[in-house]
Amino acid sequence: MGHGETTGPIVQVRRRVRAGAEQIFDLWTQPDLMVRWMSPYPGAVDCKASCDLRPGGAFSLVMASADAIREVSGTYVQVERPRKLVFTWIGPLTNNVTTLVTVELNPLGDETDLVLTHERLPTPAMWEGHTRGWGNILDHLADAVSNDF
Amino acid sequence: MIEIGAASRTARLDAVFAALADPTRRAIIERLSRSEARVTEVAEPFAMTLNAVSKHIRVLEASGVVARRRHGREHILSINTGSLDEVDGWIEAVRRYWEQRLDAMERLLRELDEDRAVAPKDGKHGSR
Repeated sequence: MGHGETTGPIVQVRRRVRAGAEQIFDLWTQPDLMVRWMSPYPGAVDCKASCDLRPGGAFSLVMASADAIREVSGTYVQVERPRKLVFTWIGPLTNNVTTLVTVELNPLGDETDLVLTHERLPTPAMWEGHTRGWGNILDHLADAVSNDF
Repeated sequence: MIEIGAASRTARLDAVFAALADPTRRAIIERLSRSEARVTEVAEPFAMTLNAVSKHIRVLEASGVVARRRHGREHILSINTGSLDEVDGWIEAVRRYWEQRLDAMERLLRELDEDRAVAPKDGKHGSR
């Protein structure tokens, strides 16, 4: 992502969504819509979101349930409605380490090809696409951890 | 998020990653992935003292990646594959997290779609 750090595991998820890129982009960036799908906690969770949608602006998603309050937050790096959104991501999922998420939205007729890339995960590991075979794992690890992390 | 945040688990993963970060230790793992082996066999191909190799082996043992058992006077090393499943599992957990979020996003899209279909069209002020 042009940040000079290419080591570490990357998770990439891709899917074709039956909606326009603009609508999807808004789901990612408008607090009243963010709270309706971003919380991973089932049941009664009071979810509050805020965002300052510009490069350098912050967002946060606070999820409060009876037993705990959890927060995901980050800073927007790139905001290009409706094609691309890049933001840092800190939360329980990443052990509160700063990671980088890129959401790319490529219109395909009235559908959208969504590619989500989550990188700079806190520990170096094998790249995606590895098999469970040891040889492969080691090959990927050699790439992933040959630089300092 | 998903329950992978337990401190002990994190510490264990950190130890595994630290163990795997060194090329000598990766070579040792690769050797042991073919078959278990005596310490001296493992050390043989390396241009370093047995003592230096032993140090790497101890790091691998401490991380749980390599196990040692005694057979008479010999020390046999083998891989504890479960330790790597956990690394694998962590990456999978991140992937699963996003797959589930995108599922939820698509559910909301359908919901919004239905709302729009049900709501009477009010003129031509379609916002978005």
